Amino acid sequence: MSGPAMTPVRSTERITPSPTLVPSARLGRLRAAVLAAPYGICTTKAERLTEFLAARWGSGLTRALGHLHGRAFAAGLADQAAGRPLARWKSRLATAIVSASRSHELPNAEAIEQDLAEGLAHVLRNAPLRLYPDELIVGNASSRRVGAPLHPDYGGLLLAGELDTISTRPQNPLHLDESQRRALHERIVPFWARRSVLSTWSVYSDDPSLADELIDGRALVLTQIAGISHLTPDYPSVVRLGLRGLLAQIEARREAIDAASATHPSAAQRRQRSFLVAASTSLDAVVEHAHRWVAHLRDRARLEPTRADELLEAAAVLDRVPEHPARTLREGLQAVWLVHATIHAESFQHGVSFGRMDQYLFPLLEADFAAGRLDRAGAVELIGCFLVKAAELLPLFFDRATEYFSGLSSASGITLGGVAEYGRDASNELSLLFLEAYDQVRLRQPNLHVRLHPRTDPALKALAHRVISGGGGMPALFNDDAIRPALEASGLSVEEAADYAIVGCAEWGAPYRSFPAAGAIFLNLPALFLRALRDGRDEEGRTVGPRTGSAASFRDLDAILRAFVEQLRHLLRRAVRGNDAIELAHAEHRPTPLLSALVRGCVDKGRDVTRGGAQINTVGVQCVGLADLVDSLAALEHAVFAVDNAACTIEELIEALDRDFEGHEILRARLRSKSPRHGAGDASVDALTARVTRCIVDEVSRFRPARGGRCVAGLWCMTTHQGFGARTGALPSGRHAGAPLANGAAPAAGSRVEGPTGALASCAAVTGVPNGLVVNQSLAPSMVRAASGQRTLLGLVDGYFAMGGMQLQIDVLDPAVLRAARERPEAHRDLVVRISGYSAYFCDLTPAMQDEIITRAESAAGCR
Amino acid sequence: MPVSGPGRETALVTNVQRFSVHDGPGIRTTVFFKGCTLRCAWCQNPETISRAVELSVDVDRCLSCRACADACAPGAIETRAPDGIDRDRCDGCGECVEACPSGAISSIGRRMTAAELVDELLADRAFFESSGGGVTLSGGEPVLQSKLLMELAPALRAEGIHVLLQTAGHYPFARLEPLLPHLDVLHFDFKLGDPARFASSTQGRLDVVEDTLRHTLRAHADVRVRIPLLPGQNTGPSVVAAIGARLRNLGVERVELLPYNGLWESKLSRLDTAQKPLGWSGTVDVERIRRDLAEDGVLATHSVVHP
Repeated sequence: MSGPAMTPVRSTERITPSPTLVPSARLGRLRAAVLAAPYGICTTKAERLTEFLAARWGSGLTRALGHLHGRAFAAGLADQAAGRPLARWKSRLATAIVSASRSHELPNAEAIEQDLAEGLAHVLRNAPLRLYPDELIVGNASSRRVGAPLHPDYGGLLLAGELDTISTRPQNPLHLDESQRRALHERIVPFWARRSVLSTWSVYSDDPSLADELIDGRALVLTQIAGISHLTPDYPSVVRLGLRGLLAQIEARREAIDAASATHPSAAQRRQRSFLVAASTSLDAVVEHAHRWVAHLRDRARLEPTRADELLEAAAVLDRVPEHPARTLREGLQAVWLVHATIHAESFQHGVSFGRMDQYLFPLLEADFAAGRLDRAGAVELIGCFLVKAAELLPLFFDRATEYFSGLSSASGITLGGVAEYGRDASNELSLLFLEAYDQVRLRQPNLHVRLHPRTDPALKALAHRVISGGGGMPALFNDDAIRPALEASGLSVEEAADYAIVGCAEWGAPYRSFPAAGAIFLNLPALFLRALRDGRDEEGRTVGPRTGSAASFRDLDAILRAFVEQLRHLLRRAVRGNDAIELAHAEHRPTPLLSALVRGCVDKGRDVTRGGAQINTVGVQCVGLADLVDSLAALEHAVFAVDNAACTIEELIEALDRDFEGHEILRARLRSKSPRHGAGDASVDALTARVTRCIVDEVSRFRPARGGRCVAGLWCMTTHQGFGARTGALPSGRHAGAPLANGAAPAAGSRVEGPTGALASCAAVTGVPNGLVVNQSLAPSMVRAASGQRTLLGLVDGYFAMGGMQLQIDVLDPAVLRAARERPEAHRDLVVRISGYSAYFCDLTPAMQDEIITRAESAAGCR
Repeated sequence: MPVSGPGRETALVTNVQRFSVHDGPGIRTTVFFKGCTLRCAWCQNPETISRAVELSVDVDRCLSCRACADACAPGAIETRAPDGIDRDRCDGCGECVEACPSGAISSIGRRMTAAELVDELLADRAFFESSGGGVTLSGGEPVLQSKLLMELAPALRAEGIHVLLQTAGHYPFARLEPLLPHLDVLHFDFKLGDPARFASSTQGRLDVVEDTLRHTLRAHADVRVRIPLLPGQNTGPSVVAAIGARLRNLGVERVELLPYNGLWESKLSRLDTAQKPLGWSGTVDVERIRRDLAEDGVLATHSVVHP
């Protein structure tokens, strides 16, 4: 199965700017309803999948043991959540139990695929259908208006220790009914305690201390325990061919295998065949689910005569899609949404993205306009309804993970603009309408991303300025001229690189055909730098890395960089092998036949996406704290390695770090004020930044994941810069122990920078990064809303991109508004701010993250 | 210290301010030159008045480590004193600035050649090009540095960079004249129309400014006269009328009104200066001023929203 390399764009004329649209009352009501909805946990999948599989898997004896094991498991998780490492004997025992039960409790791999596909069908057959007032696009990603599906088969059991407090926890409480809580305690946790990815991955790992490293949370986070995510399904084919078209391709592939193996199918052919059957079952289940909706909408139309026309139209749309090709914009949007919603009955809701919607839906808009069925206002209303649906979905993080991934974004990305064939501008009327619709809706997600290049239509840039000026940090802006070469260097063809879309926050890659696992791994760069300074020991003196020589032996920056790279390589090896173990657990225990039917390559290869079925495979390795690392290296260069005028010896410096500069305030002041930093526009530091970036990108790209493909480095962090920072000791940059690290590729907080242009000129040195990066720049409202504001904002973007900058998001912040929101959150429920590569409601953030946003706003206000 | 000669000319610069968006079109870098011929009571950049290097002391950042006192050869630093520096003894050697670990003491005024300035200014060339911005020469009175500007402005223009000069015009026109062909735009400040008031508020002569403005208007095609609105100083009806009358006589038909803020007052405690805080507050009736000026045939625009 393969689609066109790039969706053709038919429009060749320039976009004519049109007058601002009157805001849609419907969208206003939908927005208010979503903002007012409490957050809750959805256990539909957890309950239905468990009941379905419990009838097939396991015996009475193991069910009884399951309860005991489940209880011990929950107790162990409570320990881990508190940051206490599990006793070695307990983790050995758990691994032994899981290993033993695996062999006689689980069916073989082929049967697991089919069981899970039928389990998905069971979930979709029994999921409650929730229809909300005013919506034109229907379908539920969860049973709540704003809700988080819990996935016990992945990492959902991490919540097992928090079930009694999650509805009342101070940060992001999520509603959980008593009946849900009971089901989780009595049936769901015991069943999955030996079967989930969370409980099985360590069986595949040969690194006994990796679990402790993860619980420590200081240097490394592996996310795929929570589920596989961070990819863009083949929605263009859903729209263009319909699920029937995809089913026909699967059927053709199956017939080809049957024809080739009529008498003696090989083991590989049997595996391929069983995958294809499971994929068919999954797509059939989605079609069946759509038809449940048709019947439901017709019933509701009878009950709600005032809304009957609207509901019958929605029924007619779902009678057509996603089963058959979409013919109208409404059908296209509905097809994508329903499939997206059902994917989350299978996979974890994090970074499953929509791709280049203005490209693959554009022919439908053109057809609507040509037939006179739709005008711009109508199109904006439909798109707005779609955007609101995307904002109904929440990720589910256990308490500790909230620190690393604050803001509750499930980070689905929509990519607009960019280039078409031969580098022509791809932006079109639909690109504008998506921005117009977002301007009316302004909820925390989905993430809107705009690709820019020198030929981008000025109308799109002007509109982007208007939307950004309203605050909230969207759309984020991406530089085709810098990103395409980086993707080509990482192995994509010229056509694939030109067709890139953003997964989640900022991860560029080939959509529809790849499993990028873009958010799989997060590493703490300054922690590795500290290990290099301390000969492989951490802040507490435990040996956690290779012995790379005592600091006294370092005579120059090259020596310490070599030691750093060795530390990096060592942790990378552990991280990538750990991620391999997690992916193997997915492949063995939790293949995803629906998702696999929707990623190009899997059907051709007859292989699940978790087993390397996608055409392109990568694993994203995010390196956090770049500016802290660069600033620390620059500080060493100036304070220790300076030929004349050195401020201290390296031993004195380490002593000061050990004491968090207590009694060494003067040294700290000197380190902070005398050495140049990332963001100050200093040419020598910018060169160092470029060198360090290159070094990290190259080192990461040497690693090969077991699934196939390669590892790719990213420089974005969500809020891991806070989680890591809280656990990282003092740094030579003068940063105190426990303070947050720098966000993405931006300068460290509190660094004196030479204004936005100086900061961005420095950030332009961070280039050639294959898995995305984030540069946040805050600006004062008065600056961008002035008459000259468009020139200022777009000038800043264009200048930075001309210098080679890859990504930029501009948050327009007023510190007074932020402080007011902290005082009276209830009055500022809709205040959206930019976090990392995503946006969030300010009131949903941890206090530490709120502080960071206020500091950013204050420094923007000071920049006159 | 280099002797004078081509390329050896230097000027004292207090600050090279990147991302200036209110000093002309687009994204600009503004160079603040040190030294001024006027002593305006309301000067927003008091650190640019003196033509000598000065020390700025930020007491809040002082760690009381005495490193400055130890480094001071003439013994001008007594760290127990509130500001700490005996400026009569200070010989401006800058050793204390080098020694201070926290940056509490900094020196105001960097001696730079045109080549060094060009080098620094080109850092934001991409932003000048993308936004239609450029370089703004400001101060102090930048024209006091006309020899250096005669090297700097042509060098910037040769790089294709838009050059704007902000001046108060208080010098003989002959100093500015040779520079005019190398400037794209001039911002010409005109603060008061009454010679006596001008003399008392700025210690300068209005006729000198008027003479320079008259010649400049004839010799350069893009001169923009700007009136900074100084609450209570030049905003009353009779004072505005005097400004309007003078401008009409000079043939000025359009002016830009500039908002004023008192943020500079926080700088005073760090400087050795006779300038006193003014504590101005209250709103300025911009519309009334525009009407008054219009009666004299002068069209005023007030486009900058920033406070």
